[in-house]
Amino acid sequence: MGDELDKATITKAYARWAPVYDLVFGAVFERGRIAATAAAERIGGSILEVGVGTGISLPDYSNASRLVGVDISEPMLRKAQERVAEKRLTNVHGLAVMDAAKLAFADNCFDVVVAQYVITAVPDPEGTLDEFSRVLKPGGEIVLVNHIGAETGLRRAFEMWFAPVARRLGWRPEFPWGRLRKWAARQQDVALIERRPMPPLGHFSLIRYGKIAPETARGGIRTGVGKPG
Amino acid sequence: MAATSDESPAASVDPKLLEILVCPLTKTRLEYDAAKQELISRAAKLAYPIRDGIPIMLPEEARRID
Repeated sequence: MGDELDKATITKAYARWAPVYDLVFGAVFERGRIAATAAAERIGGSILEVGVGTGISLPDYSNASRLVGVDISEPMLRKAQERVAEKRLTNVHGLAVMDAAKLAFADNCFDVVVAQYVITAVPDPEGTLDEFSRVLKPGGEIVLVNHIGAETGLRRAFEMWFAPVARRLGWRPEFPWGRLRKWAARQQDVALIERRPMPPLGHFSLIRYGKIAPETARGGIRTGVGKPG
Repeated sequence: MAATSDESPAASVDPKLLEILVCPLTKTRLEYDAAKQELISRAAKLAYPIRDGIPIMLPEEARRID
């Protein structure tokens, strides 16, 4: 199975899935969705949801949060737009079609970036995380929900069953956790806060990264020149 | 399909969204052309369309400008 997932294939797959996506995937992803929203709400403020899709999670956020949603698929966003209008979600400040690896937002403009089931589906996961970190304000958090490669027999069984669907949506069921950990280790101003496996099988994980203000960034570059004390 | 009014809120872009949008290629500021419903990146020489209130921030969907 090739690892290259091109944008056109993914865009096409989601255009096909848009009409029935909520019906098929709503319940499957509910737990991760609720956990992600709760993690985002702990920070609050301006929240960017990348891969917002049909906007299924938008009603879960509090009224006090200011939401912006982006997705690569315009048909999915049209569904989200209908939802925003129907439910009168006045806290949604905009929806836009974007490539997650080339976000069209200025630096440091969101308190939280939420991406559910996105990072394992994009062609350039590290470049995409770089973009999340760029648009995030210092003190903000990146909240991911992903399915990470199986480590136990039970999970592997679940994945075997789920894999054909997953592949069609451009996911890599075999996506290694190490890649996400290594990305954070390379960043001067980003630290991994938490990786929480989600029940029932721990197939999905909630992952949180924090962006630190540059002057307090951990470890790293200390020249010894002008060091206090 | 129940569009009863021509001033549907879905069809306009929130000014707060426009404030934070930049060109996805150059990360530079955009000019908003309200009449044409386009976001213009002088740096990239591209005009990104806004379709029914949704900015389409993809270079391959943008119009080339001089």
